[in-house]
Amino acid sequence: METISTFKNQPLRDFSEEKNRAAIESALVEIEALIRSRSLAAAPIIGGAKRGGCETFSRKDPSNLNVTVGTTEFASVELAAEALESCRRGFPAWQATSLSTRAAVLHEAASIMRDRSAFLTALIIREAGKPWKEADADVAEAIDFCDYYADEMLRIGPARRTQEVLGEDNVLFYQPRGVAAVISPWNFPLAITAGMTVAALVAGNTVVLKPSEQTGLIAHELARILYAAGVPADALAFLPGRGETVGRFIVEHPHTSLIAFTGSRAVGLEISRSAAEVRPGQRGLKRVIAELGGKNAVIVDDDADFDDAVRGVLYSAFGFAGQKCSACSRLIVVGDAYEPFLARLAAATQDIIVSRAEDPSAFLGPVIDEESQSRILGAISEAQGQCTILAQGVVSDEVSRSGTFVPPTIFRDVSASHPLWTDEIFGPVLSCARANSFDQALEMAVASDYALTGGVFSRHPGHISSAREKFRVGNLYINRSITGALVARQPFGGFAFSGIGSKAGGPDYLLQFLEPRVVTENTMRRGFSPDLSN
Amino acid sequence: MLRALFIHLSCSENPFPSGTLGGKKERSGKPPLPTIEAMSRSIDPALNRKIVSFGRSIFADLEDIEESPLSMRYWNSQLMQWSMSVPDFKVSLFRLVDVLPTLKSPEAVGDHVRQYLTEAAGRLHPSMAWLVGLSDCLLGRLITSFMVTRGVRQMASLFIAGADPKEALKPLRRLRRNGYCFTVDLLGEFCVCEEEAREYQARYIDALNTFGDEVPSWREAAPLAPGHPGEISPVCISVKLSALYSQTSSLNFKRSVDVLSERLSEIARAAQRRGALMYVDAEDSGNNPIIYESFKRVFSSPEFVSMPYPGIVIQAYSKGAESRVHEMLDFARSRGAPIAIRLVKGAYWDLERVLSAQNDWEFPLWTQKESSDACFERLSRILLDNTEHCLPAFGSHNIRSLSHACCYAEQRGLTPKNFEIQVLYGMAEPIAQAFKSRGYLTRMYVPLGDLLPGMGYLVRRLLENTSNESFLRHTFFDSEEVSTLLKEPHYSEPHDLAKDTTVPSTAATPQGDGVVMHLDY
Repeated sequence: METISTFKNQPLRDFSEEKNRAAIESALVEIEALIRSRSLAAAPIIGGAKRGGCETFSRKDPSNLNVTVGTTEFASVELAAEALESCRRGFPAWQATSLSTRAAVLHEAASIMRDRSAFLTALIIREAGKPWKEADADVAEAIDFCDYYADEMLRIGPARRTQEVLGEDNVLFYQPRGVAAVISPWNFPLAITAGMTVAALVAGNTVVLKPSEQTGLIAHELARILYAAGVPADALAFLPGRGETVGRFIVEHPHTSLIAFTGSRAVGLEISRSAAEVRPGQRGLKRVIAELGGKNAVIVDDDADFDDAVRGVLYSAFGFAGQKCSACSRLIVVGDAYEPFLARLAAATQDIIVSRAEDPSAFLGPVIDEESQSRILGAISEAQGQCTILAQGVVSDEVSRSGTFVPPTIFRDVSASHPLWTDEIFGPVLSCARANSFDQALEMAVASDYALTGGVFSRHPGHISSAREKFRVGNLYINRSITGALVARQPFGGFAFSGIGSKAGGPDYLLQFLEPRVVTENTMRRGFSPDLSN
Repeated sequence: MLRALFIHLSCSENPFPSGTLGGKKERSGKPPLPTIEAMSRSIDPALNRKIVSFGRSIFADLEDIEESPLSMRYWNSQLMQWSMSVPDFKVSLFRLVDVLPTLKSPEAVGDHVRQYLTEAAGRLHPSMAWLVGLSDCLLGRLITSFMVTRGVRQMASLFIAGADPKEALKPLRRLRRNGYCFTVDLLGEFCVCEEEAREYQARYIDALNTFGDEVPSWREAAPLAPGHPGEISPVCISVKLSALYSQTSSLNFKRSVDVLSERLSEIARAAQRRGALMYVDAEDSGNNPIIYESFKRVFSSPEFVSMPYPGIVIQAYSKGAESRVHEMLDFARSRGAPIAIRLVKGAYWDLERVLSAQNDWEFPLWTQKESSDACFERLSRILLDNTEHCLPAFGSHNIRSLSHACCYAEQRGLTPKNFEIQVLYGMAEPIAQAFKSRGYLTRMYVPLGDLLPGMGYLVRRLLENTSNESFLRHTFFDSEEVSTLLKEPHYSEPHDLAKDTTVPSTAATPQGDGVVMHLDY
């Protein structure tokens, strides 16, 4: 089989080395000082100038609700209009900037992030409540996106001849689409924000970036890094704000050519619908790239290695409190393995360490905010009437009081029609069901609105190959956890209601930010062809 | 043929996996890493000649040992060698062996046999295809299931002395009768929760109690080598520490060390009460810093500071092994009572290779087998230079490595009471016998456990037994080959320790075709 890429990923930190633990420890001290002195603040940046907002948003540390990490000035709709206008004006010059310059800007951004990676990791730990390992991976992925898309643009950017033919010159090349509205989520506040933004930029688009309300500070760091790396002031506008106002405005704006969104299914569908509506002054169809949710299943076969499967399921379901679109929320166990596997999984869940994100030992941290917490707790208590709780993790009173914690919760014998089985909860909640056979398990797994990730633990060669064929999801993982896709190694994304568009961190991604053109020139004049005269 | 297998074992030792690089931070202010020049220096030619001639005498002994074709061991080794002669088949067979204990019904066994072996079996031998083909019908599946399960159990029984301490009493007594001492290791599943961790700890304490009740009353309990520190007690256990706490992890470093120290103390208390010896085994480089830290904490605590010869393990395949040796000698000095140090090459080489390659981390181990061999000899000398602080235990099946230790000890004026030899149960008896008969205390590392948790261990032993087929084809080593096997090893790494010596992910396995983990205790 052909190998696609020789890309070298930014290594994750090896936390068995004390110096790597110490680096994050001291970055956390640095952040703590900035928090105490109220120095962390983000505000819109348009045309290179810092602007005031119409509302000041205070971000509470989800691990310590009595602490405000920092503030973000939210832009008004008027400011959003300015941002769009600035990026529209900046487009021709950025489009005309050479490929190699645009790629170099991304590599420079990667290099700045590498230098500041401990600081960025610590900021994510505090602002998003991500445990150490996940926060470190977030930063590494952001670096990877910069390096990878830069390389990819250099690969696909140069014009290519379509065919060799006498008397005619046929050339295919790409042009950027225009102004891109990037609307990013809080769950990978640096990685996904960076990924969508730099993909749009390196392709030659200008970008209005609207980050998630909850994680404006880390997005602000990203914007500053991009400017410092050489992104022109009018090629990128940083526009924190409310989704319902500013987000809606930039989606609807007639000068927006492209919308890159990662977030909930409901908002994704709304964006998709709204983008299809043509508004006065609009000059073409809008392109929507949307990465939405998942209701991802893991199948544990009756011959699986339980040691691996228990750990794989725990991490897939509860890593970052289940707040990854790739997280496992459905577990299907085959046949007689059901009870013994659930027994071990339950025991393991009860011993998980739930703690503040800044505590390195935390396997599970808080969820993103109070609204999320009460929504998830509500879903759990609502389901409790109809479904049986198999196990619930222990959160100490002291930890529980301090932040937005939700104990990891597993339901057993969940029926296929129950909302627990069908709806994305985006929290540390796992539902289990038994299948009579592996084939039935596969049918149950793919009977979902979503098709993002999936997993199989099995040592049966026939079952593994049938999963490869029939377990139709964007990313299928065999005998390992189902989260943590690496750029270039596991290009990431799904289909059905899990998204429209192609895989992030893969060879097809940038094409979505581009429009292909072909120019054909007849080179023969009065019976004279330059091809033949050589 | 069998002799060839054992000789093969003696050479195929894989000196590889684990240990953090350099151990820089733990050892700040202590002796710096030796220069590669120092590490590459050859030993005194007179000593080397002695080692070679000593080694030749061991090889000569092996020639004389013939196992009876009536023994099960003989046929198992024949079977293994035969089936391993096709590499594809070997992978399939290992995967089958790995999954087998999980399978609950004859149907499931038959199904897996067919899945794994159909393709390869026909190519291998018509009779194999027949056996596999049997699983197409119900009766056939029953037969296949019975034969395969029995075969695997038999193989496992070569390397695992019993399911629990009671079952092991007989084989352990036999070992002592034959002049070997032992250390017992309890095989376990990966522990995912505290209940499992506690159970595992209870098994160790139960083992100490069972052995403590029984062993001292044996006639064979009398010291094999009176006055040898390794024979203070006939009972010895080896603890896999990380499994005593379900949340052991580097990110949970402080609590891991706290909890593991506490639980290790409880085992040490039982050992002390029974007057038993104990070792704490080394693991992969992720867990090792936690393990060394816990070991030091427990055995410097007032309760155990004077416990005789608590044992720790150093893995010579680790680039940080030498600083680890100094760290442990320093520890023994500060403790004021000697410790036992088992020197092995290490058993997690493949795992660490994969982990380093996938994460693009610096490879913490020597890439070349010869470097590990060289490191083993260098560290052997350091340990033998410090016998007032440690009882060195040389855990290896490599005749050169062991001969070096014995000859260097003699040159230093030491006696066989100053150190011991350790080998894996069921792996290298002829070698063990050769050293034992020369008056060296020889300890067998004996795993106990059910088939299921024992499977990982069994697969590793099988891999060792069947790697590097070129050796297996030999039935006789001429003197030239013996000379090669007894040659002094030299470091063969990129010669700058300070530089990143990351192994490119495409680099060939240093062992050639074999994946040979070795003496991973």
